[in-house]
Amino acid sequence: MQQLDNQEILMKLKSSKQFWDIKKKIKQGFNDQQKIGVNDIQKFAQSCEIEDQLIKLISHILKKSKKRETLKEDQIEFLNTSKIKWTELLFKNLDIVHQKTKNQEEDDTNTDSKLYIYDEKNLLAFLQTFKQQQHSALYQNVQFQSNKLLNINIPLKSSQQILDKYQYLLLQEELQDEKINKIRKQIENEHLDIELEKIAQTFVPNGERCLLYLKYFEFDHQETILQQNFTKLQKECLNQLFYDELLEIDGHEISEDTFYFVFQEQILTCLKCFIRDKTIKENIRIQLQNGIKKEQTEFQLPITGFFPFKNISKYVAPLCYLSTKIHIIYALFKEFFCRYFCFLHAISSENNSILSLCMQIEEIISTHSPKLFHHLKVIGCDTLKLIIHQLVYCFVGDMDPPHILTIYDQIIGHDSLEILVILCVGFLNKYKSKLLLAKNYENVQQIFQELREDKFQELVQFAYKQ
Amino acid sequence: MSEYFRKYIKKEHYANHYSNLKFKTSFRNCILEAFKRRLWKETEGDDWDIMWAEKEWIHEVLDHTHLQSNQKINHFRNHYELTRKDLMIKNFKRYKKNLEREGKQEEANNYNFFPLTFHLPSEYPIFFEEFKRQSTNSDTKTAWIMKPIGKSQGKGIFIFNKIQQISQWKNTLRYNQDNPQAEAYIVQKYIADPLLIGGKKFDMRIYLLCTSYQPLTLYLYRTGFARFTHHRYDSEDISNTYVHLTNVAIQKTSDNYDEKLGGKWNLQTLKLYLMTKYGQEKVAETFYNIQMLMIRSLQAVQKIIINDKHCFELYGFDILLDAQLKPWLLEVNASPSMTSNTPVDFELKCGLLDDVFTIIDLEKVLTGNEEQIGGFDLICKGNPIKLPINSTFTTYLGAFNNRQQQLKKIAKSTAIRLAQTYQESQTKAIEIGSKGQKEKEEKDKQMRSSSKGPQVMQNGGNGNNKPNNLTKQNTIIKRNTTNLPALGTVQNKNNIKRQPLQNAGQQQQQNQQSQSNSSKKNNPNEDSMLSANQKLQKLTQESKINQFQPYKQQSQYNEVMGMGVVSRNLQKNEE
Repeated sequence: MQQLDNQEILMKLKSSKQFWDIKKKIKQGFNDQQKIGVNDIQKFAQSCEIEDQLIKLISHILKKSKKRETLKEDQIEFLNTSKIKWTELLFKNLDIVHQKTKNQEEDDTNTDSKLYIYDEKNLLAFLQTFKQQQHSALYQNVQFQSNKLLNINIPLKSSQQILDKYQYLLLQEELQDEKINKIRKQIENEHLDIELEKIAQTFVPNGERCLLYLKYFEFDHQETILQQNFTKLQKECLNQLFYDELLEIDGHEISEDTFYFVFQEQILTCLKCFIRDKTIKENIRIQLQNGIKKEQTEFQLPITGFFPFKNISKYVAPLCYLSTKIHIIYALFKEFFCRYFCFLHAISSENNSILSLCMQIEEIISTHSPKLFHHLKVIGCDTLKLIIHQLVYCFVGDMDPPHILTIYDQIIGHDSLEILVILCVGFLNKYKSKLLLAKNYENVQQIFQELREDKFQELVQFAYKQ
Repeated sequence: MSEYFRKYIKKEHYANHYSNLKFKTSFRNCILEAFKRRLWKETEGDDWDIMWAEKEWIHEVLDHTHLQSNQKINHFRNHYELTRKDLMIKNFKRYKKNLEREGKQEEANNYNFFPLTFHLPSEYPIFFEEFKRQSTNSDTKTAWIMKPIGKSQGKGIFIFNKIQQISQWKNTLRYNQDNPQAEAYIVQKYIADPLLIGGKKFDMRIYLLCTSYQPLTLYLYRTGFARFTHHRYDSEDISNTYVHLTNVAIQKTSDNYDEKLGGKWNLQTLKLYLMTKYGQEKVAETFYNIQMLMIRSLQAVQKIIINDKHCFELYGFDILLDAQLKPWLLEVNASPSMTSNTPVDFELKCGLLDDVFTIIDLEKVLTGNEEQIGGFDLICKGNPIKLPINSTFTTYLGAFNNRQQQLKKIAKSTAIRLAQTYQESQTKAIEIGSKGQKEKEEKDKQMRSSSKGPQVMQNGGNGNNKPNNLTKQNTIIKRNTTNLPALGTVQNKNNIKRQPLQNAGQQQQQNQQSQSNSSKKNNPNEDSMLSANQKLQKLTQESKINQFQPYKQQSQYNEVMGMGVVSRNLQKNEE
């Protein structure tokens, strides 16, 4: 961590609006007095909470100056070796995909639109292999027979802790206009992370969401920079990459969604820029693939340091509901991916990683709904296989855009993906009675093929239902 | 759907049974299907009850034909006063001037929803002056759009920003030997900053039904479309019509036209998008402005259109939103396309037409005072119907289209009312038959007239107007207060108590009960007649309240409007 000296802190202070607001307030407080002592200011500051605000502001600046390092090594050794294996596997997939596209060019009649390097099922299947590995490694130890799909020794938060954390959502009530307007003003004037998080945790009014996100990511005064960066990337798109083709194919699914087909072109543009963005490698919070150069392969990892995967478009789509400006959509997507969504594709023992989230879900379902858990196991359709899609893609496509954005609010609000655990549990509980009647995997698929509509608040309710 | 009417109303209770009705149309799309779904019979001759004609037919035939009193036709005689581009603008301008002359400046200022327009070639000199003024005043070149008056579906439209481009047009068309009557065009200032979604331009098609111009009676359909262009918008490139014109007819010819989705959003999705992006108030205001724009358009031609009780008209309004969310009227279509390009589209249009037919009411089962029929809301009857200021809604346009549930309710309450009047007429007949029981008859009459009092509007034929209006206003208030659980004035609170949110399901049950009651007590039995009558009246009153609940509940509204928080009561209800 890099330390700031006092001078630098003062510089940063002066660049924040709140600092000047505080100064103005103090000036007003001593309007008619001629001589002002340091003690007077201190007293005054204490009496009207200015001191508090200043402390918050300074700690905010300190926190911001601490740049988050990209996580490269995991504390659990075998996860590090697994990541290398995962990367190797993906390189193999890449070769196959490349071969397929070549064949397609020769034979136009056989167009296989399902070309991708990996999807959520591949990811889960890979995570599943850990179990056996650990077994063999700890062969001598006594292992309890477990029905869980994933049973790996990593430090986990207690699932009750997660349930408690989000319990307040149950009490969420419809707000009156007056209150909503108050929140609006708050968003406009607020600059502190903690306060913005608090708002995101409870309620973000439609129409202010974009501003809140931009402020939280500290983009609010950088529109021209964002625009310039984006234009630069767009120019780079003129050089075609092999991955462009995959992204185009990926866009087809989104084009069949009523809510998003309008944005297909914008989404594609965003993704093409994304895989060319050099700044992602340094901004992303966790390294997704271990980029070993392999001489046999024709292709290298994209400049981002990881492969584009199936349905990557889904992360961009809901953000199109926030702004008509594509550079803003891009900036928000990039930030969301680098801060949060990357964990959904990371082989890691971190709290937010797909591995932890999956294990949390299994833990909650197996303890709170053991009957369902067992039943799914018996019919050969494990709990995780059921919800992996919703989990990895944040329910995009399963809920209407405003509900998805509520999930995004919660992610920002708690700086965590744990809300997805709650929603997945709620999702399973919602369809519990139907699932218990299912006799095989086909039955289960039928249940989800039916027209259904899931809502954020509804799933939260179901998550806490006993 | 009309099937609810067939299900609930007994054959003998119809004033005019549907199996007797005949239709005539040359259309072979959703219109035919919608007719058939009502189980009406097609006819080739002149014995039709309803005719869905092409507008050309009206011009040719209507003036020379005598229509029977029961016959209905889908155009007004001189609808072109509103639906021809040049005449519409002329009428708007004239009406605006009249308002100014009458000192109604404020209302006149509201006629600002059409772009600056000139008629060519007749107004060419004025246009030329304006063109010069505009191009010297602003740095960027103002674009203008030329539209041929007689054509539709985007044919012959082009955009220009240099006067040379138009002089070329002058040479080829106006003075062309083969084209002796110079083709009339209008030229409009092009709205250069349209709202773009996904980088694409779009316009809205909204349906308005006019059943009468005297008094002006308008029904607005909740569902419409947003039609997108398939290419990214570029204000620089004015030669590419794909970028600028949203007509399906034009977009279909584009290479990347998507068959499956038809490049359309329904109005609910559009509203959801706008709500998420701009917040509730701004969008509510915009949609209210759209509704007012439509009413004002018809008010402007109200005195010009020849009113005729045989005629009704379903207008397709084309409306564009600019980047400030201000609505602009592009044009009004007298025969909006009833051809569908997707299955969803097909169902929507059939439903729309079915509701039109229900409102036209050839079966003569409705009272004519219904606030909502299917997906249509009454927005004007003589005067615009104003919703209370503190209402959650400013308009039902783009709101959840609950037509199925609503039609079910209305069919039930109608069935009850018809059963009741049928009974009354039966008793009368019996009473007249047995003159000996004069005393009893008098008693009966007294009882009945006293119980009739509070529900004058039930009997449409009642000549007394004042109480009629009163009850109507009451129902309007009732309808809206159910959407306002939060803003509890005393009056509201009473209503909420009477109809708490979670009771929606119970009420339906109640309805069903009352329905079965009424059918049980239908057997004309002189002794129990009176009490049965009274019960029925009570039931109808109850069901009337239900009838005016446009939304199942607040949370349904949330659903459409995309608010994250959903009332839990409803979920309990649905489980």
